[in-house]
Amino acid sequence: MFALMSTETHTTADPQGEERTTHFGFKTVREEEKVDLVRGVFDNVASKYDLMNDLMSMGVHRAWKNRFIDRLRPHPGQKLLDVGGGTGDIAFKYLEKGGDDVTVFDINHEMLEVGRDRAIDRGLLRGIQWMQGNAEELPFEDATFDAYTIAFCIRNVTRIDKALAEARRVLKPGGHFLCLEFSKVVAPVLDTVYDTYSFEILPRIGQLVANDRESYQYLAESIRRFPDQETFKAMIETAGLDVVSYENLTGGISCIHSAWRT
Amino acid sequence: MTAEPRHSVDPKLLEILVCPVTKGPLEYDADNQELISKSAGLAYPIRDGIPIMLESEAREL
Repeated sequence: MFALMSTETHTTADPQGEERTTHFGFKTVREEEKVDLVRGVFDNVASKYDLMNDLMSMGVHRAWKNRFIDRLRPHPGQKLLDVGGGTGDIAFKYLEKGGDDVTVFDINHEMLEVGRDRAIDRGLLRGIQWMQGNAEELPFEDATFDAYTIAFCIRNVTRIDKALAEARRVLKPGGHFLCLEFSKVVAPVLDTVYDTYSFEILPRIGQLVANDRESYQYLAESIRRFPDQETFKAMIETAGLDVVSYENLTGGISCIHSAWRT
Repeated sequence: MTAEPRHSVDPKLLEILVCPVTKGPLEYDADNQELISKSAGLAYPIRDGIPIMLESEAREL
């Protein structure tokens, strides 16, 4: 799922005690508020989700997702948990490319319903399960899955460290963690162009196409706030996953982080 | 027993599910379409065959 929120979490002391805050785009909000804000945004955009992805990535997200699935090396008997994949994009590609067992997990019910309807339209009824929940509190036994994917979602999570720890917990030893997310543009010139695009042009397109300038503004802001490649790599290592590496896509507009549970 | 719901939960999924809060076992209540976590004192609803494993959506027992 595309995330409109950033993920950095910190604690600020106040005279009444401690209140945990986080970011919703460039705004600072209480942690408890964020989940509702996220769900509200996705209720708004669920029906225009494909369009939004195309706009945000300038149409390249399809190629990124194909690369992402290739890194996963789908094969029969591989048990995949796809977190934040409500509309089924990753799960469908996984099944088409040789996988046969995927659980799609998303916090937003409407996104899951969109995904399941699309699955029925495509005749994909076997090997795919749908479940609603929070990435920070996975309802699975330890060491359940051979692979864990999370595509354009992790920015959305309030406490990324908890989500990463849960990812490690539910992976089997030898299991593969793969994350696809917007990242920090590293190519010269492209960084300026992309900045102009995401902060100047995209919100206007959002206004014109979806009559929702704010959601698109948040999307741009949340991308800017997300940790860069090296910082996120260190967070994955801190969660106890090993052999962490990353691969920039399209000059770092997007990035695949890979890690293993050893 | 009422008619089979349009979407039923995949039995394979039920095998690997635990309570997201306590990580304790769940019991499937097919009649009421709920997953019961005795350890947490919560019942998670299943809507249109999609288990909703959120504490905020669960019914307190």
